[in-house]
Amino acid sequence: MAEMHGQLNGPEPGHFRKRFKIIFVVMSIMLSLLIMRMWHLQVIRGDELRQRSENNSVRLRKIKPLRGLVLDTNGQVLVDNQPSFDIMFVPNRAKNINDVGYRLKNLLAARDLELSTDIPPLGKRRWFPPVKLEKNISMEKLAIVEAHASDLPGVTVEVVPTRKYVGGEMTAHIIGYTGEISPDELKRDTDNGLSVGDIVGKDGLEKYLDPYLKGKSGAEQVEVNVLGKEVKVIGKIEPVSGYNVVLTIDSFLQKTAWDALKDKAGSAVVIDPRDGSVLALVSSPSFDPNLFNGGISFEDWDNLSNNPSHPMGNRAISGQYPPGSTYKLIVAAAALEEGLITPETSFNCNGAFELGNRTYKCWQKHGHGRVNLHRAIVESCDVYFYNVGKLVGVDKLAEYARGFGLGQLTGIDLPREKSGLIPTKEWKQARFGEAWQMGETISISIGQGFDLVTPIQLVNAYSALANGGTLYKPRIVKRIELADGRVLKAFEPEQKGRIPISKENIDILTYAFWGVVNERGGTGYALKRKEEDVCGKTGTAQVVGMPDSDKARKRSLSAKFRDHALFVCFAPYKNPEIAIAVIAENAGHGGSAAAPIARKIIDAYFERKNLEHKKSQPVVAVNQKLQTGVYR
Amino acid sequence: MKFDRRLFFNFDWTLLILVLTISFIGLLNIYSTGYSLDNYRQETLYIKQAQWIIIGLILMGIVICIDYRFISQFAYVFYAISIMMLLVVSLYGYTTHGSQRWIVIGGFFFQPSELVKLTIIIALAKYFDDHMIERSYKLRELFVPFLIVLIPVLLILKQPDLGTALMLLLIVLSLIFFIGIKWKSLLAAITCGGLLVPISWFLLKDYQKERIMTFLDPESDPLGSGYHIIQSIIAVGSGGIFGKGYLKGTQTQLKFLPVQQTDFVFSVFAEEWGFLGGLILMIMFVVLILWCLKIALHSRDLLGMLISFGVTVLIFWEVFINIGMVLGMLPVVGIPLPFLSYGGSSMVVLMIATGLLLNISMRRFILHP
Repeated sequence: MAEMHGQLNGPEPGHFRKRFKIIFVVMSIMLSLLIMRMWHLQVIRGDELRQRSENNSVRLRKIKPLRGLVLDTNGQVLVDNQPSFDIMFVPNRAKNINDVGYRLKNLLAARDLELSTDIPPLGKRRWFPPVKLEKNISMEKLAIVEAHASDLPGVTVEVVPTRKYVGGEMTAHIIGYTGEISPDELKRDTDNGLSVGDIVGKDGLEKYLDPYLKGKSGAEQVEVNVLGKEVKVIGKIEPVSGYNVVLTIDSFLQKTAWDALKDKAGSAVVIDPRDGSVLALVSSPSFDPNLFNGGISFEDWDNLSNNPSHPMGNRAISGQYPPGSTYKLIVAAAALEEGLITPETSFNCNGAFELGNRTYKCWQKHGHGRVNLHRAIVESCDVYFYNVGKLVGVDKLAEYARGFGLGQLTGIDLPREKSGLIPTKEWKQARFGEAWQMGETISISIGQGFDLVTPIQLVNAYSALANGGTLYKPRIVKRIELADGRVLKAFEPEQKGRIPISKENIDILTYAFWGVVNERGGTGYALKRKEEDVCGKTGTAQVVGMPDSDKARKRSLSAKFRDHALFVCFAPYKNPEIAIAVIAENAGHGGSAAAPIARKIIDAYFERKNLEHKKSQPVVAVNQKLQTGVYR
Repeated sequence: MKFDRRLFFNFDWTLLILVLTISFIGLLNIYSTGYSLDNYRQETLYIKQAQWIIIGLILMGIVICIDYRFISQFAYVFYAISIMMLLVVSLYGYTTHGSQRWIVIGGFFFQPSELVKLTIIIALAKYFDDHMIERSYKLRELFVPFLIVLIPVLLILKQPDLGTALMLLLIVLSLIFFIGIKWKSLLAAITCGGLLVPISWFLLKDYQKERIMTFLDPESDPLGSGYHIIQSIIAVGSGGIFGKGYLKGTQTQLKFLPVQQTDFVFSVFAEEWGFLGGLILMIMFVVLILWCLKIALHSRDLLGMLISFGVTVLIFWEVFINIGMVLGMLPVVGIPLPFLSYGGSSMVVLMIATGLLLNISMRRFILHP
């Protein structure tokens, strides 16, 4: 055997030699393919791939900026920032996820505490992204987690700056709330450099003034490995805090208005007729914007969004109501200005007004007798205004209504304002394809029918009357300030024009509105103060038209169909300083349901004013102290 | 056995120095992969690897001293032992990353599938040497060699270890091509193999199917299976011509590279040493492979020729498939890079294989008594 094998050596393997050649060539070609591929990747694509490798390892981490503060007109903080301690769980730092979860639970259970979210089971997954177990934890929980940090790998406490809405429900509709940017918002934002996870204003001023409030994100360049573990920080750009916003809102009045209204549904708006500054704006029911900090829970969101009384809606600017008798301001102004009536013009009210085969009732069943304009306004006689409205006609009424700013956006610096509706013949033709009926003019003459206004429009129209005829754009933002208090941008009062009514007629009407509150028989007589300084007008907005025969049933009607109570007023009679509109939904008659709310605001306003007057020096000092307290 | 002076003069220093140089480069490279880790266990991988090299060198020395003809008498015994070990693995083996590949011997993790690569070569060489025919082989004459391969292939597929199974098939096919097969038989074999492909697709595990799919389109799953390929390509490419410098590869140091000490060790090297470094390493491999081929060509007898050719193709295929995989030319199949990848089993087996080559090389002029 051995010899035989020996013979195989050397000379014989001629065919092996040939095969060796083939194999030599094949192997050489294949190995040079590898070298060519290396050339391709490292020399030809080298720069591109180096770029990619740098993107790979150096990750940019955003540092969220502090949002600007929101202050009231006196420098009181309405919105602050506070650190929220959130418990996070980063799975890839934990060796045994179930173990950590078990230990954390036990530690908390020992003190009768628990977490709102459990560590999710790993299941079939090998990995899952970091999860937030609980936001804004209590100090007790924080202490437990911090003390046992080494036993809880993967459990970390993240300090996140969040909003602190000092006013809570009281200012919710003005301030709005913030939240993480949504995919839609992200798509719309093309040049602000926003990215996923950024906090943006979602409603109210947080949304409207977001460009000022949001500040500028900083960034940190961190080197990370494939597990996302940070190795070192390479560079850092500090974030820039947002600008502070000073409002025209007066916390004291805001609180008074809120306390007076909060048990009802509706809204109250207080403005300064002299420049259109909004001093208070409340809408009820409300919500706690603090719920939105760090993401609202599903349960809370469900409660808010599915609530039939819509607590998230700002009724002051987007609630559209029939103005009821408050609309008589427009009808009277139009008739006077058009020369259709004089203050002495009188009509007889026997409790009803006949038009064709229809009867339009006065709210006073037995009639007001013969009334002139002054008494008609004081007693809110409907029949008088049926007659006047019929004289003026729908299109003239609409013209004057628009002149007072009704049926159109006031332009207040808040999102989602509604325009209301002031009908014209043309509008009806376009909307319904039907001709305008005279009967409909009769209805709108007392602010029913198609007429719809918002509380902010209403108060703005009356304050124009109060200030002698200037229609302002309601102003809620006074100025935007830098952190050191320097003014970046001041929002000056903005005049929209004059209401279409002469000084003379303004005085006639103002006197009538004074009579509403201060004369016997006035619908707002209950509001009469000993100073006899309030002018106002009541209103009752019918929710559903209902024949008189059903009046008996009215008392048993469910609250949903009861009338809305309205009251608009301004004070003092000479040189008014505040104008107020109050709407109490389904509360019944304006004089009895809405006026007392306005009364509380007026009382509070003048009480404070008198107090300030008595000891004006010390109050100024307190104010200054407040201001310096804010600008830390 | 009397010491023959010719053995010393004919000792193949070139092969030994090449292997030692490549192993040393591998050691430096493994040091780099563990450089930035804070885990002490992984930091000391290079020390372990050095231990494996030393163990391998000792075994190599023993193998050199014993005539390969004597060793090959026990070819089937070695083969049987390695098959037994595979069986042990499938019954009691240690499982990592979803496959059962290791057995623990005295505290060391050992991978029998690496050993099988060598025992199968010796067994096949022994078989063909014993059943030498002057003409090309017919298909049925290759039944036993196929059976020799099929048993470990099935056992290894069961682990599952697609790469090693593939490697065994490539070794036997290369040997058969070398020894000569009738064209008709070859055609028949290819047809059978072709029919087996769709069947075997159903036998593959999901992760294996996924790997093949992501090989075809790696960008489709950049954070999943395609991640390995993409990160590896980025690492290699970002090295550029001159590399990022030793211990400075960001892909490596930041642990973007998966299994960088083992299967993707070449991308670590290519990132840090660039095209020039990679080229030098490639040239060393080319020289090594061709040198081994030369040993096969000049071996004294068919047995030596087949053994050394078998070892040559083993090294060749591992180098080609591993680097091809790292460069994104071939699917990720999990084959180590000879002498560079971290792993005791592979290193020791390759050292023994080198010992066999040295053995064959230095005995090429010695006729057996």
